[in-house]
Amino acid sequence: MNLLDIRNLSIELISNEQNILAVDKVSLSMKEGEVRGLVGESGSGKSLLAQAIVAVLDDKWHVHADRFHWRGIDLLRLSMPERKAILSRDIAMIFQEPMACLDPTTTVGEQLAEAIDSSQLSGFFWQKQQQRRAAVIKLLHKVGIKNHSACIKSYPHQLTEALCQRVMIAIALARRPILLIADEPTAAMENTNQGQIFRLLSSLNQLKNMAILLISHDLENITHWTNTITVMYSGQFVEAGTTEQIFSKAMHPYTQALVDSSPMANQHLPAKSRLMTLPGSIPILQHLPIGCRLGPRCPRAQQDCVKAPSVSNFHGHKVSCHFPLLPSPKAKKSKLQKTKSQKSHKPSRVPND
Amino acid sequence: MLIFTLRRLSLFVFTMLLLTLLSFSLCFLFPGDAVINISGAINATPEQLIQLNESYQTSRNIFFQYLAYLTHIMDGNLGLSMASQSVIGHEILNLLPATIELSIVALLIAMFVGIPLGFVAAIKHNKPADNIILSVSMLGYSIPVFWLGLLAILTFSISLGWFPSAGQISLLFEIELITGIQFIDILLSDSPYKWQAFSDATAHIILPACVIAVAPATIFIRLARTSMIEVLETSYIRAASAKGLTFQQIIFRHAIRNALIKIIRHVGLQFANLVTIAMVTEVIFSWPGIGRWLIVSIDQRDYTAIQSGLLVLSCFIFVVHILTDFIYAALNPLARGVKYGS
Repeated sequence: MNLLDIRNLSIELISNEQNILAVDKVSLSMKEGEVRGLVGESGSGKSLLAQAIVAVLDDKWHVHADRFHWRGIDLLRLSMPERKAILSRDIAMIFQEPMACLDPTTTVGEQLAEAIDSSQLSGFFWQKQQQRRAAVIKLLHKVGIKNHSACIKSYPHQLTEALCQRVMIAIALARRPILLIADEPTAAMENTNQGQIFRLLSSLNQLKNMAILLISHDLENITHWTNTITVMYSGQFVEAGTTEQIFSKAMHPYTQALVDSSPMANQHLPAKSRLMTLPGSIPILQHLPIGCRLGPRCPRAQQDCVKAPSVSNFHGHKVSCHFPLLPSPKAKKSKLQKTKSQKSHKPSRVPND
Repeated sequence: MLIFTLRRLSLFVFTMLLLTLLSFSLCFLFPGDAVINISGAINATPEQLIQLNESYQTSRNIFFQYLAYLTHIMDGNLGLSMASQSVIGHEILNLLPATIELSIVALLIAMFVGIPLGFVAAIKHNKPADNIILSVSMLGYSIPVFWLGLLAILTFSISLGWFPSAGQISLLFEIELITGIQFIDILLSDSPYKWQAFSDATAHIILPACVIAVAPATIFIRLARTSMIEVLETSYIRAASAKGLTFQQIIFRHAIRNALIKIIRHVGLQFANLVTIAMVTEVIFSWPGIGRWLIVSIDQRDYTAIQSGLLVLSCFIFVVHILTDFIYAALNPLARGVKYGS
């Protein structure tokens, strides 16, 4: 059974003049103990999607989904407080900019202590304070902070960015979540710290069988740590598959461009030659193109691309494109036919439910 | 924290020096002889005048005159009142505590009413409760205080008869002056009617304090509302809600403290405004405070009294300002540490 199953989730920004569809029908599913990467340029709605999953978006964002299941529970049928209770019990999130996500007027120790669920503590109420403190120290050790007494007493502005990030991870782990959403956990961090954080996350995944949704703009970096990857562009679903499929057999022109733009995958390129990049930049929210939002930048765009493509499933490798890059000659043939006779031979289409 | 305290204290000393400089320059700007303006001795004999000129060092240059003025202030000698020929220092000592009492009570009322209302408005942002609170605060801010004071007397003391209309305490009670602050004096006194006196003094202070508190309270409502809205949109509040805290826990543990930090600085600034309102209100409610005394002195062209009254009042406002700075530092860990370039 899927841990998390989201189908066609849309997020709309409610404003006075015109509502903006920031995230347009994105599907995401996760299995127990899976590490999934969520990749896209900045502004592609990855963080929004993550915040919608943990239900912390404020009133001006309107979230709508066709299906939103968590471990078999249909969350859409539950009221908001019930949904919130289930989500905050099982899902934890590490936010971007750890410094801004810690209350500047409260000590780190207090903020950690309040994240610990009192059901984890046994004993009478006069023992709870002590147990809570012991649990805080244990959590800090778990994320690799050895000098716990100094850390507990200090305020967020007295710690470095990397330490704050570790504290944020400790807070996220305090509830013993089943799914951890890490939103750019290593942004603005040096390489050594990045490695430590990723190793910490992957050890948690292996020891505790904790599923991790790793959000990043850096495709090349997270391929070392993920089992599966979902790619987004400008609020639309692009491609999903195993890391191997995405990195070596990308079907969507955008994913292909992402892979091509990374220097690691292009070591055969002669020195001082240009890296492949897509022309242009990601569209702003006020001027989103209709249909496939990659259209204006896509090297393979044709007239059909003014209509939004539906998701095709090639043995678990899902892609949302009218003209995917198909590797085998047979598939190429079918694609040629399709261009002639308008998508009649698409392999196993996923119904839009 | 020590450095923070030292900084505030040095700021206090230098501001006081500037204030004395200003009040010293006033005696040259007022019409008449500077020595008489500064000492208030209008009926002085020629011998006394010579003595005064010597003690204020008028023969030497202006710097020494200023130093002489400073030493007089340090000795507590603020001169004589031109109108009544009484010693100004004693009058101020008798009157200032009543004003301190009134304005502090008014400030507390304004804070305890205004700030929670502002928080409620922010939490119910864009809902009817928010709009009602905002429009009431707009109304309260636009009512002139002298009219509001008269209206309050008319309804609450004349029509309804709930509160007395004038004075600090009924003349029936004899309370010995010890600290000057009436409530403390009542509690210290060993009169058998102590508690009756206490309730009488409370009844006297409610009406003027509420009238003074209206305008600052409306400002606090607006400040509290904007700062709370700002705080509720920050990422640490979002992170706290992802952490699984309930809305109440978020408000009471994180939001209120952070919102208060933004408000508390303005409380000190608003206090000057509040004292100005208190001066007018003291006249309306015949409150025996320094504000009424100062307004009467202005009316009587009592230059010596104006000069010293301004000095003492601004000193009082500044002390309150520094106290709010300390509260700010206690709430905000960022302000306590050593900062470079500040």
